[in-house]
Formats: sequence, C-alpha cells, structure tokens
Amino acid sequence: MSDNPASAKEQYKAPITDWTGVADGVTGRSPLAHVGFDELAQMTPSNAPVQLREHALKGHLTLRCNPEDAAQTAAFEAATGLALPTAPLSSVASSDTTVRWIAPDEWLISIAASALFALQQRLQDALTGHCAVVDVSSGLTVFELSGERAVDVLKKCVPVDLHPRHFPAGKVVSTGFAKASCTLRRLNNETFELVVRRSFADYIWLWLQDASLEYGLRVES
Amino acid sequence: MTQLNRLSTGGRINRSKPLRFSWRGQVYSGYEGDTLASALLANGIDVVARSFKYSRPRGIIAAGAEEPNAIVQLGATEATQVPNVRATQQGLYEGLVAEPTSGWPSLEYDLMGAVGKVAGAAMPPGFYYKTFMFPESMWMTYEKFIRRAAGLGRSPVAPDPDRYEKIHQHCDVLVVGAGPAGLMAALTAARGGARVIIADEQEEMGGSLLASRELLDGGPATDWVASVLAELNEHPEVLVLPRATVNGYHDHNFLTIHERCTDHLADRAPHTQPRQRLHRVRAQWVILATGAHERPLVYGNNDVPGCMTCSAVSSYVQRYGVVPGNRLVVSTSNDGGYQAALDWYDAGRRVVAVVDARRQVASTMADALKARGITLIEGSAVLNVAGSTRVQSVEVARIDVDAHQVIGPVQTLVCDTVATSGGWSPAVHLSCHTGSRPIWRSDIIGFVPGATHEQRLEAGAVAGEFSTEGAFNSGFAAAQQALQALSIPVPQVIMPTLESVDIMPALALFHVPHTLPTSRAPKQFVDYQNDVTAAGIELSCREGFESIEHVKRYTALGFGTDQGKLGNINGMAITARARGLSIPEVGTTVFRPNYTPVSFGAIVGRDCGPLFDSKRYTAMHEWHLAQAAVFEDVGQWKRPWYFPKAGETMAQTVNRECVATRTSVGILDASTLGKIDIQGPDAREFLGRVYTNAWAKLAPGRCRYGLMCGEDGMVFDDGVTSCLADQHFLMTTTTGGAAGVLEWLEFYHQTEWPELQVYMTSVTDHWATMTISGPNSRKLLGELTDTDLSAEAFPFMSWQPMTVAGVPARVFRISFTGELSFEINVPANYGLHVWEALFERGAAYDLTPYGTETMHVLRAEKGFIIAGQDTDGSVHPHDLGMGWAVSNQKPFSFIGKRGMVRADCVRPDRKQWVGIKTRDPAVVLPEGAQGVFDPNAPIPMPMVGHITSSYWSANLNRSIAQGFVKGGHARMGETVYYPLADGSVVEAEICSPVFLDPEGERQHV
Repeated sequence: MSDNPASAKEQYKAPITDWTGVADGVTGRSPLAHVGFDELAQMTPSNAPVQLREHALKGHLTLRCNPEDAAQTAAFEAATGLALPTAPLSSVASSDTTVRWIAPDEWLISIAASALFALQQRLQDALTGHCAVVDVSSGLTVFELSGERAVDVLKKCVPVDLHPRHFPAGKVVSTGFAKASCTLRRLNNETFELVVRRSFADYIWLWLQDASLEYGLRVES
Repeated sequence: MTQLNRLSTGGRINRSKPLRFSWRGQVYSGYEGDTLASALLANGIDVVARSFKYSRPRGIIAAGAEEPNAIVQLGATEATQVPNVRATQQGLYEGLVAEPTSGWPSLEYDLMGAVGKVAGAAMPPGFYYKTFMFPESMWMTYEKFIRRAAGLGRSPVAPDPDRYEKIHQHCDVLVVGAGPAGLMAALTAARGGARVIIADEQEEMGGSLLASRELLDGGPATDWVASVLAELNEHPEVLVLPRATVNGYHDHNFLTIHERCTDHLADRAPHTQPRQRLHRVRAQWVILATGAHERPLVYGNNDVPGCMTCSAVSSYVQRYGVVPGNRLVVSTSNDGGYQAALDWYDAGRRVVAVVDARRQVASTMADALKARGITLIEGSAVLNVAGSTRVQSVEVARIDVDAHQVIGPVQTLVCDTVATSGGWSPAVHLSCHTGSRPIWRSDIIGFVPGATHEQRLEAGAVAGEFSTEGAFNSGFAAAQQALQALSIPVPQVIMPTLESVDIMPALALFHVPHTLPTSRAPKQFVDYQNDVTAAGIELSCREGFESIEHVKRYTALGFGTDQGKLGNINGMAITARARGLSIPEVGTTVFRPNYTPVSFGAIVGRDCGPLFDSKRYTAMHEWHLAQAAVFEDVGQWKRPWYFPKAGETMAQTVNRECVATRTSVGILDASTLGKIDIQGPDAREFLGRVYTNAWAKLAPGRCRYGLMCGEDGMVFDDGVTSCLADQHFLMTTTTGGAAGVLEWLEFYHQTEWPELQVYMTSVTDHWATMTISGPNSRKLLGELTDTDLSAEAFPFMSWQPMTVAGVPARVFRISFTGELSFEINVPANYGLHVWEALFERGAAYDLTPYGTETMHVLRAEKGFIIAGQDTDGSVHPHDLGMGWAVSNQKPFSFIGKRGMVRADCVRPDRKQWVGIKTRDPAVVLPEGAQGVFDPNAPIPMPMVGHITSSYWSANLNRSIAQGFVKGGHARMGETVYYPLADGSVVEAEICSPVFLDPEGERQHV
C-alpha cells in the first residue's frame, strides 16, 4: 500500500462511475415498468387487506468488508453515519439509507439513486484494506408489502418464521421466495420490504398478486 | 327417496338443511352435517364397492379414515373429478355427485364378477409374485386389467378449475388430533401462551367425544368440546385446522397437513377461495393425539355388507342419527363393543344379542346391557355370516381363544348387521414416518409409538390411554412437558369431572376360530381393500414368506391407500400364530407417508400454469415481444430464439439473421450471460487457480477467454474475463452456468483458499448486455458515442468505458461470431433506452436482431464451443483441441491440472472434438448422430463418437457440424460415417472445427 490510499485504489480498482449520470431526457426503467402500478392503483379496491407498492429505481450497493476490522467499521460509520450492522440478520436504517446484513462479510445498502454516487465515493475513500463496493442498483427492485393479511401472503412465499417474536421489525433474511429468492426485511408489524432481483421481478409480482387473491390486493402507486 | 335408516331426532346433523346428492346417477337426500357415508347408510345403501380381487360386494365398515371399502369417485363435471375419496371423510353438500370407483362395469353383476370368481379360485395370494412375474412380457397386459378392475378411480382429463395453496407454518406445539387428549393438550399449551396448531382430519372436531355417552362436568361431552374450541378459536396464537389431515411426519419435526378448505361446500370452491391447502409445518414440539382405530374381528364372510366395527355403529347413531340396519348382533372381546348395542337399542331398534368372547363378564357396560334386557352370550363369538349383498344371519358358538378352537354347538341368529370389536389399535402411523418402530404393549393389546429422536410426545388412545379420563390426563401431561421444555410456565387447567366406570380387561382375540381349518373355512378377511384373508396369510407363512415384510409383499397386506389401518394388527396376530411367535416377535411393517391420499392439486399448489417455474426476463424483453420473437428457455431465462418476419419459416429467419450479421450488423441480447465482479489483492491469483490458462499478465483494459474445469480436468464452463483494474475483474459465465460458477468460486474460496483476499459479487442482473456484431458494427456504435473506436485506440480483446446513447457504458471488443463485435454493457435500467437508440441509428445499416439459434450457427462457423452442448462433463480442454487455453507454467496449480493428465485422459484414441463436413453439402446431420469408421460392420457397430453441433450455414452455403471422433485430431481428412435411424448412411470428412475465417481476420479490424 502506498501512503496515499486514494491513489493506490485508483490503481487497483476500477474507477467509480456515476452510472446515474445519464444525458438529459434519458430515464431509467424499472423491471416492472410494464405493469403500470399507477393505473392499477386506480383500479384496485381501497379496502383490501393486502397492499403492495414498488419502490423502483433506488440506488443499491453491495459492500464486502471485514466486520472485525475496526478501521473498516469506523470508516463505514464515518461515510454513512450509521453503525455497520454486524449482528446476523440485522439492519440499520436512517431516513434515507438502509443497510442490511446479508452475510458475515456482506451488506446491501439502499439509498436514493441520486445520492448513490456520492455515497459510493465516500465509502471507497474511507475504507482501507481489502473491501469491495459494487453498484448493483439496476439489478434489484424493491416491493413493499403491507396490511393485516400481509403475513399470510408471505407465508405462502417464504419458508421462514414470520412471527414477530422470531421476525421483529428490522430483521433481514435472504431466503427462497417461491421458485426465486428475495431479501426480506420487516419494517413494522404489518409491513415488509422485499428486495428482489430484476430478472425475477415479474415472476414475483405475479406470484404476490396470485397469492393475495383470496384476501384481496390493493396496489399503491 | 326416504331416509329409511334416519332417526327422527338425535345426532349432530342439521335436519332443517336437507341436501340432495347423487350416487350412481340416482338422487338421494341427506342433511347438513352428514358425511357421504352417513348419508348413504341413511338411505339404506348397502353395497358401495366391489372388492379388488374377488369382486365381492362391499359395504361401509367404518366411520373414519380407516374405511377400506367406501372409496368413491367424486365430481359433477369432468374437470372436478376426484378419485380415491373415502365416503367416511367427505362432508355432504348440496349437489354432490359420487360414483363407485370399483365394480367395473356394474356393481350388481358384472364381467369382473364372473372372471373374478373364477380367477379368485385360480389366484391364491402371491399372485402378485407368482402369476404376474412370469412371463414378464405379459405384465403390461395384467397391469392394465388389474388397475382397471382394482377400482382406484380415475384422474380427470380436464384441467382442475380450483385453486390450491401451499403455506409455510411454524409453531411451538403442533397437536395432531382434536379428541379429548388433543383438545386438552392444545388448551393447556394455548393457555400457557405457546403458539399452537391443532389439526383434525374429521368434518368436526371432538374425536371420540362426539359419539360419547359420557357426561363431562355433568353435561354432554359435546358441550365441553364446544367451549374448548371457542376458547382456542379466540386465542391469537392458536391456529385451529378442521378437516385437516396431518399426512406426513418428516425429519426435524417437519410435518405436512392437508387441509380441505372448501371440499365440503360444493363441487367447486367459491371464487378466489382455495379448495385445499397444504401446510408445511415446522414444529418445536409435536403432540400426537391421533387416537386409535377399532379392530374388527376376523371371522367367516366378514366382508358381507352389514358387517361393521362397533365404534362405527355408535358413530352413525350418535353423530348422524343413522341406524344402519334393523337387527344387530355384536361380537366383542372388550367393553367398548357394548356401546354399539346400547346405542342401537336406545335408537329403538332390535339388538339380537351381544356375543362376548370373555367369560363371567362384569362391568358397568354389562350392567347397562342387562338393565335393557339385551341377551348376552358369553365365551363366544360370531364365526360366520350368511348373506351376499347383506348380512342375513350369523353363526355363533363358544370358542377357546387360547386353543383357537370352537368348543360348543353352533347356533344361528337372524340379523342384518354385525358389529365387532377386537379392541383398539393406536394410530401409530405418523410416529413411524420418521423411522421410529412401534412397541407392543400386551396390557392394551396394541402397538404404541416407540422411541424417537424428534421432539415428539403422545397423548390419549395412541399412547394406550383408551379411557376419556386417561386421555384428558395424558393430554395435559404432554402439553405440560412440552411447555416446560419450551420454558413456558404451565397454566392451570381444571379437568372435567367424569362418572366412574368399572372396566373389565379386554381379551386378546383377533382371528375367530371356525369349525373348519382356516384354509377350508369361508373367507375371513383381514385387509378388505387388498382382499387379504387369514388363509392367505397362513399360506404365505407355509410357503416360507414368514417375515412380516414378506407376508406383506406376498399377500398385499397393508398396501396402497389403506396402509393397514384396519387390518395390519390382525394380520400380524395371524402371522404370529402361524409361526408360533408372539406379536412383538413378528413385528410391524413400515408405515409411510402419506397417512391418507393427498390430491396432486394440494401438492402442486400454485406452482402451475404461468407460475409453474420462475421466469427471468432481460431489460429488453418488451421489445422482443413487440417484435414477435420466438423464445427459448435457457435455464429460467426467456431468450429470443429467432425473430421471424411475417411468413418466414424458422430456417428462413435464421439464414437471414446469419447473413445480415456477417454482411452488415446484427444485434444479440446477451444480458443473460452470468457476470461476476471479482476484486481484491488476490483476485488475479484466484483467477489463475480457477481457470486453466494464465492471468498474471492480463493488463487493465484487456479481456481474455478462459476455460473452467472440475477437479477431474473436465470442462464445465467458459467465458471472457476482463481486467477492470489491477485487482479488479469482471468475469462472464454461460447463461445456464452463472449460479453454479459463483457457487464453485465461493466453495473454493471458503474451503480451500480462505487465505486469498478476494470478493465475488454477482452483477448479472445489474447489467443489460447487447452485442452488435458485423462489419458495420463500428460505424453503428460510432453514431452513439464520442469515443474513438478505431482498431488502434480500441483493439480486439480490450474494453473501454464510454458513453453510449447518453448512458455510461462499458464496451467490450470481444466476439462470439468471429466478426467485428462490440459488447455494450449498461445498467439494466437503461438497457431498453440504449437498445432502442441502436435501432434508431441502425436502420441505415439494416441492423438485424438475432436470437440464440443464429448465435449458435455463427459461433459454429467459427468453431467456438458451447459449454454444455459441445461438452458433457467428460471432455477436457485437450479433447476440444483447446490445449492453447491450458497453462502448465502457473506457479501454484489450477483446478483440473492433475485431472486432465490421468492415464485415461492422455490416451491417443480419446474422443476428440473435430469438424465434420458431409460429403453432400446439402445434408445436415442430426445432432447426436453416432459415427462409425466401418459402415458395413455388423451390429453392434463400434461407435467412434457423436455429433454435438450441426447446422445449415447460409454464409457458407453448406452444412457444418462438429463432434467427437476417436483419435479425431490425427484423422484430418479421413472419412467417418453416420448411420441414421432411417437406414441411410451419411458419409463425412473429418476436418478442422473452424469453417470460416481460420485466421481471425474478420474480428481483427
């Protein structure tokens, strides 16, 4: 390592690109753009006990580092203002940033797409030693499933125990979802966040829609 | 039609809600709360089936899951057909349509009846082995006959219109069965605050209490049931599942529950509601309160309609207000049998006699019998029944149970119903599913669940606690034990008070002796569903099939959907006597899931139709759809296969796409290729170990092709990896191999080389990848970027960041077509934008979208392999002629290095991958065709390798193929022959696999 970690990193790692830095008039397209959630929101019943919305086009980073490296955890905190959630299946969130534990050395960070580049730069600058910060924004989309029957819908989708004693707000699991997968986080008693891979998003949307049929589904825009 | 066996009062049916149903095309009526069985009996229907082997008329014997005969075909329409339904487990609904499943073609008299009687005589037990094994070639014929005649019902030929659901459940305590023990256990666990699921297979919860004459706390037992269920239903942590059979008990307390949500409502489920739901439960503790099945006695002609179990008679009277006959004889070995007589008598019908095998009977039940003046015949049993489609009379005599002999004169009693009880067999089935063997208890004359590694407890009759009081106490005790293990305080539960009764011990009687030896006596059925008789079991033992597992296979005892619920213990007892052993010495057969049949719909759930499997789409999928692309499944991905224009055949399309790409420019959606971001100080070293070739000197900005092998040296994936920076790489994998490769890398990193500092992250979904290929690709891309694309500034096998159509992109100059190619990668959210921008500018160059088929042809023209098509796990790089991609100079080693130099891997006559040029250029060989060197060799011809890739090449105006030929690399120019299935033989020349531009001049521009 040279004395100047920033320039050393330039040499070792690909320069960070602002992938959201597109020309005027170019807009991103969610993997579920074809669904038309806005129109569906007008059509679905207002009193349904299950509600679903997509948080499309968010910024997502995969972070790999060593949770036992105090310098790295301190650097993370300096860059994000949040303590790295090192306890398995935990998460931390501020008003604009969510950090989910994925594996002992892996986290998934979500933030507004417009703030992603700056965050990635802050992390890359702050973190020293062996680590990886990878932009995966376009590879993921986020569902929010809520309502009094949301748990019942999820019980048809994921094998994990969703009882509040076992799955309190803030808990995160990456698990099988029907014949796909998702990263599931509980936001409150009746609200869950599902981070899913872009290519599976349509399948998962159809599955959620079908699983909700017996209760009734409201799509929110 | 009048319900001639229906009582005017009593039972748990709702007489204000009459229901019509159809049985064999005739309309009958029943009431809400009936099962199909109780409604059939109410209407005086005696014969509901013909037996499997002997085609004997059969009636309803039991009232629950153990019913062996009344198996019906349900459904008013073709789409709603359900086979294999037990009439005793089907709730009646308005408009129910049921047919018998057996007795083809008619229940009363039929062809099978005639054949069956003849064949029955000619078919002793063991026919399954002896008759049908030889000649083997006849099995198909036999099978068809047997299956049709066996009456297992038929599958619908129309799609099921109903919805089925699967759901995952977790609980602290799963209580199986809602009789007195199960309800008490659930109540205790629920009051303690545990998460409880209680499931019961019957139409109504309460188990034995529903037909009980006992008073609880001075009131009817059903009042207590209702109050407990009300409390459980209100408890937020309790899930009460009626009509839900716990069918399978699997390792680690994983159990499956088959809930019939709406089967009792109508032929079809209400709109949006599931018909059935399969619960997949993980339970901390399981309390089995599965109860017991009453054993009928085994006596002559015991299958004539009108022969029933005592508890079934009581159930029909007490629960359904149905007395299934006029004159009853009870034959019993225990107190339990008496209740049938009391219920029958109190319903106002004639009890001819109670025949008890015990002597000097003294019990509360016997007193009740005497108080009613019912005749009690002691020390005796029913030996035989007269009648064909209904019991007409019985023969009764004194018997010596120990000597298995009739010791008195035979008297005939005229009756139309015989109820027997040989005691109770605990329903141990679920306890055995995880491999636990049941244990014989002579004090209760039955098997109880054995030791287990699971967190499992038992309560009530399944644990040998046959009294109601014992059930309550053991239910509480089981819940107490579970709660303590869960560190949950045990709550107070007050036991209901019961009247005390004097019970006389039961007698171990299974098979009633006859005046004739068993082999000559009238048929004494043990397993009704499989037509197994006592004589058959004795014959099995005589022929040396002595082990209970052999007896089972020889006779079919306990086979199929019945799983020996009614007959297994009797069969073991008969085997034991035949062999001079005790029942525990004989042992049991293995009970397997499922306890009762589960419909395919419930197992499939919603994983059908459009949701059968997950489907993956690229960011450009909508565009492909709009262009009417034909799709191909690659793994779960939907990839465009080809893009036909109106009126084009597939061949015409592919030819057009191939030529357009080589003459101007084509575009492929390559987003599905696996992409893995690899970074860390040891990333380069790591690549050198997982790929066969060298990576030490690949400079940032450059790309390299690599082969990945298993330890055996065989190729399993390939792809291009690009150096993004000194310690940062982007690996690509095959579409189908992406997940497997990442797992493989993680496996090696985590288990073999954890000291290497490297992180792998899947970025497959993040990038949309579009490959433009062809001589005009540079011009096209040049219209959308300011970056210098010249060969000097952007050479072959390098990559550059640039802006394409206003979007930041990584562009790779790599080529799978052999043409000048640019692989444009942009974040997938912008994929469609860039794709459409390429088409806006591409019109001038006749930009042609092509699919996987054209991709395959173009790469085959260039002799590039497809891992998984040209390789099959038995092919190493040298076999492929790709030794250039193997570096033995690497300081560490690499996966597969030793594998590919094993003696067998360096044989000169290994099958090697070569080009195959048919002598007739118009002939396209079928892929998979086997080559021979001598087309005149006698069969079996020595085969020398097969064709792996074969296409028509519009660019070369001839067929091209690649495949394996033994020692092929040294046989260039030689001839190989392909004899085809149609008898023709195709002659071909062995050549280089590269058919086009062997010098690579087209891509180096």
